[in-house]
Amino acid sequence: MNYAFKWSVLWSGQSGAWLLQGLITTLELSAVAWLIAVALGILSGALRTVPFRPLRWLATFYVEFFRNVPLLVWMFFWYFAVPPLLPRPAQDWVFNHGAEFWAGTAALGVYHGARMSEVIRSGIGAIPRTQFEASVAMGLTTFQAYRLVILPVALRLIVPPGTNESLNLLKNSSVALTISVAELTFQTRQIETYTAKAIEALTAGTLIYLVLCLSIATIMARVERAYAIPGLISRTQAG
Amino acid sequence: MLRTLSLLLAAVVALAATPALAQDTLDKIKQSGVLVIGTRTGSPPFAYVNKNNEWVGFSIDLVEQLVKPEVEKAVGKPIKVEKKESAPATRIPLLTSNAVDLIAETMTDTPQRRETVDFSLTFFYTGAQFLVKKGSPIKGVNDISGKRIASQQGSTNAKIIREKYPQAQLREFPDQPAAFQALVQGQVDAYTNDGIQLAGLKAKSPKPDDWEVVGDFYSEEPYGMAMRKGDAKFKAAVDAGIKKGFESGKYFELYDKWFGPKGEVPYPMTPQVKAYLLKQIGK
Repeated sequence: MNYAFKWSVLWSGQSGAWLLQGLITTLELSAVAWLIAVALGILSGALRTVPFRPLRWLATFYVEFFRNVPLLVWMFFWYFAVPPLLPRPAQDWVFNHGAEFWAGTAALGVYHGARMSEVIRSGIGAIPRTQFEASVAMGLTTFQAYRLVILPVALRLIVPPGTNESLNLLKNSSVALTISVAELTFQTRQIETYTAKAIEALTAGTLIYLVLCLSIATIMARVERAYAIPGLISRTQAG
Repeated sequence: MLRTLSLLLAAVVALAATPALAQDTLDKIKQSGVLVIGTRTGSPPFAYVNKNNEWVGFSIDLVEQLVKPEVEKAVGKPIKVEKKESAPATRIPLLTSNAVDLIAETMTDTPQRRETVDFSLTFFYTGAQFLVKKGSPIKGVNDISGKRIASQQGSTNAKIIREKYPQAQLREFPDQPAAFQALVQGQVDAYTNDGIQLAGLKAKSPKPDDWEVVGDFYSEEPYGMAMRKGDAKFKAAVDAGIKKGFESGKYFELYDKWFGPKGEVPYPMTPQVKAYLLKQIGK
């Protein structure tokens, strides 16, 4: 490869500050979107299993509609198609106050909520039906049965696929650069613009994503162990 | 976990340390019979997909009609030109990874980029301006304070705005269509890019009369074709093609085809620009 590496571009000039800024934006974007995704995921995931058909349909519609359209399209949708619904002065206000960030957050959160929903539904599906019946037989309402029995167990079961989905969310946050959110990938490109050293900049970005994802995976593995119900899952894997 | 990580790192290091293959671009083209260029799909009239779904433009014509014959002469056999899409963020990696041999689009020749790639003779000269809705209060670079300004990610204009006009709210989009859409809908108040590109965008928009290109050039943007650094033989062939185009007048015919009164984007060449271009070949 005919290319002269010059790694110093990553710590000279403003590169370090840009990467840090990008990292913070990525984390903010992902954290807010994750909260939306988990809330929507739990809600719609639970609704898909309740014994009341219209609610199941509603949740199914949400999941199928949002997960079957590419994330990039959702980014454009939330940025280009939603604000025009507001009156003109409100639009201007929104555009002056970080519309890009919030459109990106909404796109990411709602899209991943639909995917998270499937994970949670499968967790609930893994719990024997008799548990629900037993809870109701003890006098709990459907809502109480879900809140006190079904969901606490289901959420424990879905930690591994949930982690997977959360990591996807973090990495997918880079799609927000298409609507001008200055997150980590955006900043690595910025370094490329200034220095013409694309491989160095991309490597820095890659390593940061890798470290972020590995840390999250490690933390989630600990969470999984800390909250495991002894005897519930018979086969435990050596971490 | 640690073992996996160290294996991964070892692989990355091994990849990066692979010795440079001592093969120059002309040898590569001779073997494959193909000159691969990186170009744009949405930058009329330099390189874009037209109404008939053909990938055409001024930069592409320059390659096919001026550069290609010289490269064929150098490798001693007929070759084909293959087009791949490139963007500001990907064009240098495309070159250095050998995925393409020549970037022929709207790339500004800058000192920083010259540290990594080589540039051909300048084949177009323009400068940054603004595209605004007709009647906008923005008339030039001095009016952008506090305004939302769209730019293209990785472009030289974005860099200038960020450094010299930090009072403007800069929004950066990966391509022209997204930036223009943001201007149409009012997400931004103006879109800044090289004047000629804005003129192209205006000409191609559904209602060209709604838009205005305003302001003096606040930057200098000489366009060159980029190639891998230090490949003197290939550069000589590319430059010879452009030089012959200037000498024979073929270049100006192509200019007229795209920028003449009947061209895609009427943009008459000023005497200064003509003098600038011809100075490169000592005229």
